[in-house]
Amino acid sequence: MRNPLIKRVPRELKSEWHKYLVIIIFMVVMIGVISGMYVGHDSMLAAVYAGKEDLNLEDGSFELSKKASDDFLEAMSTGEKADVRTYFIDKGTKEADKEVAKAIDEKLNEEVTAAIEEGVRTQCAAYGIADEAMIKEQISAAMDASFDEAVKTAQESEEYKKAVEDAYKEAHDKVIEAVDEEWDEVSDRYNLDEEISPVPVIIYEHFYKDAAEDSDCDGTEDATVRIYLKDSPIDMASFNEGRAPKTDTEIAIDRMHASNVGVKIGDTVKVGGKEFEVVGLLSYVNYLTMHESNTDLMFDAFGFDVAMVTPEAFKKLSARTHYSYAYLYENKPETKIEKADASDAFLKALITQTLVHDYEIEDYLPEYLRQSSNFAASDIEGDSAMVSILCYILIGVIAFIFAITISNTIEKEASVIGTLRASGYSKRELVVHYMSMPLVVTILGAIIGNVLGYTVFKNVALNLYYNSYSLPSCTAVWSNTAIIKTTVIPLILMFCINLFVIVKKLQLSPLRFLRHDLRKSKRAKAVRLPRWSFLRRFRLRILFQNLPNYLVLIFGVIFIEVMLCFAFGLPDSLSQYTEKAPDMMFAEYQYVLMGSKDNDGNTIETAEESAERFSMTTLLYPKKKAAIREGMGSGGDESVSVYGMVRDSAFIKLGNDVSEKNVYISSAFADKFGLKKGATFTLHAEYENKTYEFTVTDIVNYDGGIAIFMDSDSFNKVFEKEDDDFSGYLSHKEITDIEEKYIATVITSDVILKVTHQLEHSMGGAMNVFKYALIVMTAALIYLLAKIIIERNEQSISMVKILGFKNGEIGALYIVPTAIIVVLFSVISFVIGYILMVWIFHVVMLQMDGYFAFFMKPSSMVLSILYLLIGYSFVSVIDFIRIKRIPMDVALKNVE
Amino acid sequence: MGENFLEIKDLKKSFGTGEARQDVLRGMDFTVKKGEFCVLLGPSGSGKSTLLNIIGGIDTPDEGFVSINGDKLEEMNESQLTLYRRKHLGYVFQMYNLIPNLNVKENIEVGAYLSDNPLDVEEVLSTLGLQDHKYKYPNQLSGGQQQRVSIGRAVVKNPDILMCDEPTGALDYKTSKEILALIEDCNKKYGSTVIMVTHNEAIKNMADHVIKLRDGVVRHNDINEQKISAFELEW
Repeated sequence: MRNPLIKRVPRELKSEWHKYLVIIIFMVVMIGVISGMYVGHDSMLAAVYAGKEDLNLEDGSFELSKKASDDFLEAMSTGEKADVRTYFIDKGTKEADKEVAKAIDEKLNEEVTAAIEEGVRTQCAAYGIADEAMIKEQISAAMDASFDEAVKTAQESEEYKKAVEDAYKEAHDKVIEAVDEEWDEVSDRYNLDEEISPVPVIIYEHFYKDAAEDSDCDGTEDATVRIYLKDSPIDMASFNEGRAPKTDTEIAIDRMHASNVGVKIGDTVKVGGKEFEVVGLLSYVNYLTMHESNTDLMFDAFGFDVAMVTPEAFKKLSARTHYSYAYLYENKPETKIEKADASDAFLKALITQTLVHDYEIEDYLPEYLRQSSNFAASDIEGDSAMVSILCYILIGVIAFIFAITISNTIEKEASVIGTLRASGYSKRELVVHYMSMPLVVTILGAIIGNVLGYTVFKNVALNLYYNSYSLPSCTAVWSNTAIIKTTVIPLILMFCINLFVIVKKLQLSPLRFLRHDLRKSKRAKAVRLPRWSFLRRFRLRILFQNLPNYLVLIFGVIFIEVMLCFAFGLPDSLSQYTEKAPDMMFAEYQYVLMGSKDNDGNTIETAEESAERFSMTTLLYPKKKAAIREGMGSGGDESVSVYGMVRDSAFIKLGNDVSEKNVYISSAFADKFGLKKGATFTLHAEYENKTYEFTVTDIVNYDGGIAIFMDSDSFNKVFEKEDDDFSGYLSHKEITDIEEKYIATVITSDVILKVTHQLEHSMGGAMNVFKYALIVMTAALIYLLAKIIIERNEQSISMVKILGFKNGEIGALYIVPTAIIVVLFSVISFVIGYILMVWIFHVVMLQMDGYFAFFMKPSSMVLSILYLLIGYSFVSVIDFIRIKRIPMDVALKNVE
Repeated sequence: MGENFLEIKDLKKSFGTGEARQDVLRGMDFTVKKGEFCVLLGPSGSGKSTLLNIIGGIDTPDEGFVSINGDKLEEMNESQLTLYRRKHLGYVFQMYNLIPNLNVKENIEVGAYLSDNPLDVEEVLSTLGLQDHKYKYPNQLSGGQQQRVSIGRAVVKNPDILMCDEPTGALDYKTSKEILALIEDCNKKYGSTVIMVTHNEAIKNMADHVIKLRDGVVRHNDINEQKISAFELEW
């Protein structure tokens, strides 16, 4: 026989539908939103990673000054270095030999001519011939008759042979000396003497043209567009909308750019002065962000575009062709270090081969360093922090809701439980029975939530990404993180909490259930109250009697405040960061140079008085990996900027105590990882197997980034640079006397603003979703909390109704104490919630790169308290209606 | 009547400590035979409900023992006690303690589910006159009807002992007599030993065995040779 108690589950659901509906809504919103965010996140990353394979993302590319020959490409594809020295010695020797042979010929001719002339003159003098004309005639005749013979005789002489040999040897030695001198410098610069493991590659032509784009055909240039060929087999595009161009008047352009400048399919744009119809909106696998140059700090999807045209259209464009070649390694390197080694080896091969084949390298970039293909993915990877915070808070709230719901149910059903236990139902049977309802509710919520997460809310997350990056279209993928965090953890939590509460409660004897005696401690003597009015004393008694319920209420209010602090504080923190970011820069201008020397080997100088040299590199600080979040988007180690400053820097004041081991660290670094003066920490290089140990000498008040500071001499020693090496200039004013080609990037407050605005633009949507979701959940929670008080007092309310109290009086008795508690604790709970949020925020920040502290505007603080009170006011009205509906027979009949 | 089925020996129980200590049972001895209708009679505070709870295995004595069919309850652990209640006992309370969201029939099935040898639910419904109400929920029933369901839930298990704690305490005269008649019927029809706690003196007349309690001890332990039917009772 099936346990008839099972039948209670659907009936319980039906009779208490409003309570369970609220819980299910809570679960659905929580699971839906968070799962949607994770699913969107993982789906997008999966699409990006899949794109790398499917769309044949290059492993690197180089650009030459002219089209490469087949010989060169063949040599490059072996990955072998060319023997530049031998090549140049051979070449030099050949040239020298020619020169020497020519010089010898000239000398011999000269000497033979002189000898013949001298002989003829001597003979003429002996015969007394003094007529110069006759002498010249005789010389000319002698030349004709004996020159060749004389040359031949001279060439056969030992003296001649030795002289020729010496001349060649000297010339060859000079060639070797010159080549060696040049080679030493070049090989020193690029470490070309080192042995490399050749990395065989497959090379693809990947030519492009940069042209002016007039997106609205108004005659003014709106952007630079980089145009690729339609049939390129490498770095291909996926189409978000439309198709590839078929005729030479059609073009497909980047979707993000199109959306930014308001171009749609069917529109006409002018590219390189020619009109094209836009037939497709695409996403190139190597241009997920619109970085025109790899040294751009921020991408610009307004001013830069990538496009695809047919080969015919490409030919017709008058812009200069960039002879870019993309390559794929035959054996893919896996780790970052392997990638760095492979690209290093390839670069050596490229430099030597271009020298030997007489090409100039215009550009070289291994894919792993390419911003336009890696920026978005790494940004998305670190993007789940906010969702994590929300998730942790809500899991806490869910646990709390289940705990109060189940303990409520058990108290309400005490008699039933007592009777069933007295009749012989085992604890196990009752545990299973009382577990089934919350399980059903959670599973129901989880199913609906996940369905919504994978459909509706996923798109919300995807739109966030599409608003920021030129990403390919994607399909939902199964997200382990989503299912673990939003479904498995709440289920386990709910299971454990219910099991714990039920098992603990069922330890009580059946008799105690029958007597409704579920309290552990007996109530002490009643507190004597002052001679207040009866109603006031009655109300106070109700308050005392319900103290445990009010404790639950206070806990709930704290949770609500944590949620509201999140809802209001997150946008505040972000805008605070945006506002303060420009002030956080320690220099108004930061010029990062391509190198410290110009093409002639002279140190790059500036006349700007406020300018000061600095050195910079990036190392990594090891972070603990989040236990649950692994795999895609788990985030790597924290990136730390290492600065080398001049001793008496005007930008960062360093004491004399800095050295190769003792460094100053930024306050953001210290705050984030709790590093204090005297602490020792180890950083490691990203692409090399090197570690560096430092001790914190002092903390610099700089919240703009995770950074350490040392003097430039120590910097150069630590990182094995030359003594006078530096990375660029810090300056209060703009530097105008450094040629642009030597500047890699300039960081100004404008750039920082661009970054933070982009951040706001990308996250703004998510924050609104979170805000509304949290407000819905806050309302749900306060509804459940207020319900408890009335539910637990149903019997008493029914009794006072019988006694003749009016509904208004009962309301004043039961609602006013709750209202007082809510109002009183709204402020206290806000403070606790705020402190909790600061802590949670910090913990989550540890998982992502960079640091900014939690911040709330005073108006938001007031609002988060006000929202609670407004929410409670509505619930009070519902409570009053509930009180009115409590029938009098609750107290008269034993109706449970 | 058969052998001694239930044996109570020197049973003591007190609540509280120090000055607040209250001896509820102060050494009780009696036996009940199988199939007997036994009434535990006494005023409030005489210890009759405590005694019933100890017999029912939901409370424990401080001293003495309860033995059923030779098995001492004090030697049973919690799961054995649960099994004992499950297999041997049926409980009827003054407050019916029905499960509100199960209908009449299902409430009775809650009892049947526990038994290896349950009675036919439909038959019990008929016996209790609940056929017309079997799909009603407890809050649609009168107090008397609810108590019938409560009896049904206990009887359907076909228990060895039917424990009734003031089953008519919350009912009017007429309904009380109907309920008592039902318990009597069950006793006769199914042979269950009935132990009924009551403070109603009149009920002793329908019992085979009357044990009067006062201040935690047995004052009278009588076998009623001239018992009358429940309908003949007057109070």
